Order: sequence, then structure tokens, then C-alpha cells
Amino acid sequence: MIEEPYRWVEAIANRREYIETQLAPGSPLVALSCREGILFFTIGQTRQKIFEIYDRIAMGAIGHPGDIERLRMTVIELASTEGFARSAADVSLRRLAHYSLSPVLKAAFEQIYGAPYLARMLFGEVGSTPEDDLILRVDYDGAIATNAGTLAATARSFAVLSGHRQTTEAMEIYLQSEHSPEAPLNRALQIALDTWTAGQLQGDDSAGQKSPTSTQIATARKAHLRGGVEAAILDRKSKLAIRYRQLTTEELQPLAAR
Amino acid sequence: MEPLAAGQFASSGGDDFPGLLRSRGLLGIAPQFPTAGSRAEMVQTQATTILAFKFLGGVLVAGDRRATAGNTVVYDRADKVLEIDRHSLMAIAGVPATAWEMARVLEHSFQFFRRTQLQEMSVDGKVRALSKLLRDNFGFVMQGVGIVVPIFATYDVREDPAARLYFYDAMGAQFEVADYAATGSGSPAVRGILYYENNWGKKTLAKLNEDEAVIIALRALDTAAESDTATGGVDREGRIYPIVKIVSASGIEALPERRIAALFKKGVA
Repeated sequence: MIEEPYRWVEAIANRREYIETQLAPGSPLVALSCREGILFFTIGQTRQKIFEIYDRIAMGAIGHPGDIERLRMTVIELASTEGFARSAADVSLRRLAHYSLSPVLKAAFEQIYGAPYLARMLFGEVGSTPEDDLILRVDYDGAIATNAGTLAATARSFAVLSGHRQTTEAMEIYLQSEHSPEAPLNRALQIALDTWTAGQLQGDDSAGQKSPTSTQIATARKAHLRGGVEAAILDRKSKLAIRYRQLTTEELQPLAAR
Repeated sequence: MEPLAAGQFASSGGDDFPGLLRSRGLLGIAPQFPTAGSRAEMVQTQATTILAFKFLGGVLVAGDRRATAGNTVVYDRADKVLEIDRHSLMAIAGVPATAWEMARVLEHSFQFFRRTQLQEMSVDGKVRALSKLLRDNFGFVMQGVGIVVPIFATYDVREDPAARLYFYDAMGAQFEVADYAATGSGSPAVRGILYYENNWGKKTLAKLNEDEAVIIALRALDTAAESDTATGGVDREGRIYPIVKIVSASGIEALPERRIAALFKKGVA
């Protein structure tokens, strides 16, 4: 059957559609550079979605928990053995994603008799300045989208992960206009929450492409906050080698106070 | 970093880092049944004399700076008190090549466990992990290379928070101690001093404040160096002082050399 090329293309298209349906209910994730580091943010999760990978690298993911777990283990194993054999400085997100992760995901996706990975991942690697931060999105087919443009004008200090293309776009549009990498953590948290809310509003009202107004966001975010916030930061300034830490309830308090 | 074959994902099950390293050829495997007469004739570099005791502020761990090979002083700025994680220190007496590798494996193992399992390894688990590494190394020890006799000091931050202190033998037996431990060639003298201070000193070791504790540690290492050529003690001319680190509930503090020098001047010199 798949000897015929168009059948193969058709099979791949079906598979893509199937995976997209599986990913659709995933609660969006936001990663953005701020003064203190890279903030990872999501709401309403039923299980942990933001993870530490290595000293300066963190990951967020949506998809099937079994697949996410396998991929997470793999990336930690790769980073840890590299960090052991050479040094922590040699562990780089760019190499992990491009060299190790992407080819395997692509192969699993295209071998249509095997199971693909039902997962979409967001990685961040914190640098010494926001310009040095690397944020990558790795998809189930091995595609990589990065924040680092070749020209400064195209470089972005954030990335969004969700189950719908429209939601992702709505969130990106919001971030594009509201976020600046010089923002302090408090401000970044607020923007992350508003971005997340903007994505939901877009999802609720699929007819209108325009961004939701700030009053719409303000009324909607109160309801979303009840879902529970999960947030972690890769700390830029910490003296410890391990930069990842989950934000405490006290640090998240200002969100509810607004 | 190696490229992955399609079926190569998640090979270790995520909790055995030394096993993962061995499967990738990154960690040597000691021969389990060494043949008779295969003992190494080479002179090995050795690091000696480490001590640790509990005091008011947690556990103090100290080591002199000398590394020797036979009669030769190889190095006089060795750091034998190694930070393994936020609350654990491993101090080493024995062959640094093996000991530093063990410390590195241990450090990465604890982090690997925490990252993959999403929880901190228990203190008993950590203590046992070092024991296993020593046990795995014993084939080498039987051939006459790579003996390590470490001290492990940590702070248990989970239920019943308390400082914990262990020393090991070369086969991997772990001994938890209530007050103090010392290993290495200069340790008989150190043990004598710590025993004396603990029983007949002005205060027991557990009641010493930080300054007093550091002074006792410096005195003990200086005494060990007096009769043991393999122990560096304090190099008064070169101004090389022992390494002193403290484990407490708030983490690990490496005392700056200035502070050690000042306390040395006040209480020892």
C-alpha cells in the first residue's frame, strides 16, 4: 500500500490530523524571557507540565503523559551524560534539539507502522542576558521553531505552546505587543497570565480574529486563576549551578491580588 | 552527545545513573576477580587526612591540601572536601583519580535522580549510593590501585531534620558516627585530639561555636602534619591553609581563606 508515494503522503496527513486532535485539549504553555530569567507558565493542569532538564535548561510539554515522560527521560539522560563526560558548559539546548531529538521524532513520525510521539515540547535555555536566552519549540514531527532570528529584528523573547494553531497565534500576537524582555519577573508573570487568558478568549470566540480587549482579559483571568497556576523560572542571576526552580505561592500571590 | 537511533530512547529507566554511564562506556568497570600477583607496582598519588565533626552550626568538614606519591609531594593545593549537592559533602582520603571520579559520579547521580524522579533522593539512598561505588571499585583496590576511604556529611532536610555524618571503609561499609570522624594517614593524631577535646575539652565538640570549631580543626590538622609527612597541615610560609566547609540546614558554606587565616592566627599560630 505505502509503496505508492501518494498513499504515504495520505497516511502521513491522516497521522498528522490524528495527533493534532490528541494534542488539542492541552492547556497552553508560555515561556518568556524577563530580567530575572526565563519564566515558564501554565494554568489548570491536572499533572505537572514544567520540568527541569539540566542546570540551565527546562522543558514544558503537552501531549500524552507516557510519551512526554519518555522524551523527558531521554533528554535528561543525554544532557546528564554529556555534562558528566565533558562539562555542564558543553550541554547545549541547540545541540540537544537539533542533533538528538529532532531526527528521532521525525523518524518515529514518518514510520507509519510504528507509533509516533504524541507530544509537543517547549524548551528554554537561560543565558547571561535576555538576548542570550534560547527558547525552542519541538514538535511531534521533529520540526523546530526557535526564538533566535538571524536578524535582531526577527528575534523574539518568548514562545507559546498550545493544541491549536489559532490559540498559539492569538497568544503570540498578544505577547508581541505587550512583552519586553527587560520586564521584571512580576510584570512577566502578569503578562504570562494575560497571554494565557487571551489564548482562551480567542478559543472561545473563533469568529473574531482581533485580539481581546484588556477589559475582556481582566474579567476572564479571574475565572481561569482558579484552575491553579504552575510556574517555574530559570534564574539568570543565581550563584548556584542549578538555575531551575518552581515559583512559590508567595511569588504567585500578586497575580491573584490584581 | 551521541546521535540517537530510533529505538534508543530512555534506556536507563531513569534512576540508575552509574548504570547509564557504564552502558555508554563512560565509567570503568573494576575486575571482580583479580588474578594473584597482579598488584600494581606503580607509585600512586594519594591524598590524606580529612576530618569531620558535628558542632553547634551543623557539620564541619576539613582537609589538608597535600597530595603525595610515595615520598614525593605532588600537589599542595588539593581540595579534598568536595561538594556533592546543596546539603552533602564528600571528603576524600586515598587516590584522588578515583575519588574525584566517584564524587563526580555521585554529584551527577543525585541530580539525575532528582530530575528524572521529580523528588530528592533520601539521605539513606545517597549514603548507599556512595557505598555501592566503593564496592564497585573494590576489584581495583584488590589489584592495589585506586583505594578511597571517604567521609560523607549531609543534612537531612526531610522529616526529623538533622546533620548526619558517615565514614566508610574501602569495601564500602558505611558507619554513621554521632560526633566525629577522621580518615587518611594523619588520622590517628586527629582522632586523638578530637577524642580528647570531646571528653576533656572546655566543651564537647557538639557545643562548639563556629570559630571554636574551626580552630580545633586547624589544630588537629597541624598536629597530624607534625608527624605525618603525607599531611600538609598549614603551610605558614606559602600561606596555604586547609579547606574548611560547613554543612547546615541552609546548605554548604565554604569558609573563605581570609577567615581561616584569621582564625589560624588567633587560635593556632
